[in-house]
Amino acid sequence: MSEPHTKVVIDRVSKQFETKAGPLQVLDDIELQVADGEFVCLLGPSGCGKSTLLNTIAGFVQPTSGKVLIDGEQVLAPNPQRVFVFQEYGIFPWASVWDNVALGLQHSQNRAETAHKVQETIDLVGLTGFEKSYPMELSGGMKQRVEVARALAVSPDVIYMDEPFGALDSLTRLTMRAEIIRIWQQQQPTILFVTHDVDESIQLAERIVVMSARPGRIAGIIDVDLPHPRDLGSPEYGRIKNRLYGLLGVSHEI
Amino acid sequence: MLALAEPTSAGTSWGPVVAVSLIVVALVISRLSRSWSERAQKTALPVMVATIMVALWQLGCDLLQATIFPTPWQTLLALIEVVESDRLLGDSVASLYRVTWGFFLATITAIPLGLVVGWSTRSFWAMNPIIQGLRPISPIAWIPVAILWFGIGDGAGIFLIFLSSFFPICVGTMAGVRNISLVHQRSASNFGIHGFELIRRVVLPGAMPQIITSLRIALGVAWLVIVAAEMVGMDSGLGYLINDARNMGSRYDLVAAVMIVIGLIGIVLDLMIRRLEHFDEVRWGYAER
Repeated sequence: MSEPHTKVVIDRVSKQFETKAGPLQVLDDIELQVADGEFVCLLGPSGCGKSTLLNTIAGFVQPTSGKVLIDGEQVLAPNPQRVFVFQEYGIFPWASVWDNVALGLQHSQNRAETAHKVQETIDLVGLTGFEKSYPMELSGGMKQRVEVARALAVSPDVIYMDEPFGALDSLTRLTMRAEIIRIWQQQQPTILFVTHDVDESIQLAERIVVMSARPGRIAGIIDVDLPHPRDLGSPEYGRIKNRLYGLLGVSHEI
Repeated sequence: MLALAEPTSAGTSWGPVVAVSLIVVALVISRLSRSWSERAQKTALPVMVATIMVALWQLGCDLLQATIFPTPWQTLLALIEVVESDRLLGDSVASLYRVTWGFFLATITAIPLGLVVGWSTRSFWAMNPIIQGLRPISPIAWIPVAILWFGIGDGAGIFLIFLSSFFPICVGTMAGVRNISLVHQRSASNFGIHGFELIRRVVLPGAMPQIITSLRIALGVAWLVIVAAEMVGMDSGLGYLINDARNMGSRYDLVAAVMIVIGLIGIVLDLMIRRLEHFDEVRWGYAER
């Protein structure tokens, strides 16, 4: 089997924001490459610029200097093949579950095929029977499933996730992580996942990019070479956790 | 034409007694209703408040020995008289006709304009100062202009209602569009939705709860303005009927009766437009009450 090709290249990306207190350096000279089909977590404290980095890769924000390349082409705007799953609920409250999931498939000519795809995706995330429901009638976890389904329906090459499970309770969060791993293994998209939760990053990622705050820099990159499902009690898990806390500069023994 | 009958003289000697007894009864029932079901209380309490207000009205008439201002009883008789006359239906229809057309024309022009001006930053820069500058001019101030352009009649009324509805709807739509959250805008652009599809799937539905609120405000204003406009510059309608009743021998009992009709029609209009708030597509926009 050949070496998987590089999907995303982040080439010396810096970002400054103008604020009342003067220019704020949010990202400083970020250099990173992500392979096709890889699951990468961006881990860091709040305010470290990890969301800004993800928004830059997605094309919502343009870097002050440097550039982002996907499949060798510079990212200048968002693209329907690369879908963002938002931190707050990005699904439309005015549309039913079905219409939300079908959002990215408007341009498809074949209606039967579209309907099949929408139903298949709704089934995949476990929302069968809720097709006609509106988001306000769903729980937080179910809304997040709609959001994930909306992204999956377009069969994207890359999925960006910005703390997608942050608003969920801890039990639902565990379930959603397992679901994401299952879907990733099944469909093999490239996933870039932003989180500030150390355990979440070790449970999910093949590679964890640790960021430090103000200005946002890469503090270190750690490979997670553990098979799924991952055992939270294994010694390797503990070692990775210690190294992550070390890179983040905090002690987890309180 | 209304019959020019003298106001019915009520037997004033028992008026205060009835009024005071009603107040006492209403207060007692209000107190007792604490243990009733929520639904029953919601009906009983406003009825009791209304009863007390009518009783105070009666007491006021008795104490001040009012001769021209009507008592509740005289007003009720006048209400029956006005309902039985052929004037009420015709004048109500005249007012509602102007409001319907003015409101309809305002809706089909103000919503598209508000959508465009709310979504496009350059349109907003261009149009917003002008909209904000025209908005505070009372529709009443436009009455002379309306009569100059359209003469006495439906045209002037429809124009005034158009003006009074246009600005609340336009400004409400603009605000609704500008309040669409960044995540929803980004979702739309991420999935490659633009042009007409963007308006249909994101901009219009995202602004819809605020558009409906603005329609409700606009219809309320329209109903206020049409009565004023008809009192000043028209020869039919409920506003004109009020003027007519006063001019025909100071029939203030009829004036009060027509005022009650105006209030009742206003309530019905508001209840009708509030039904729009219950659709699944907009319920998310209103906090649970």
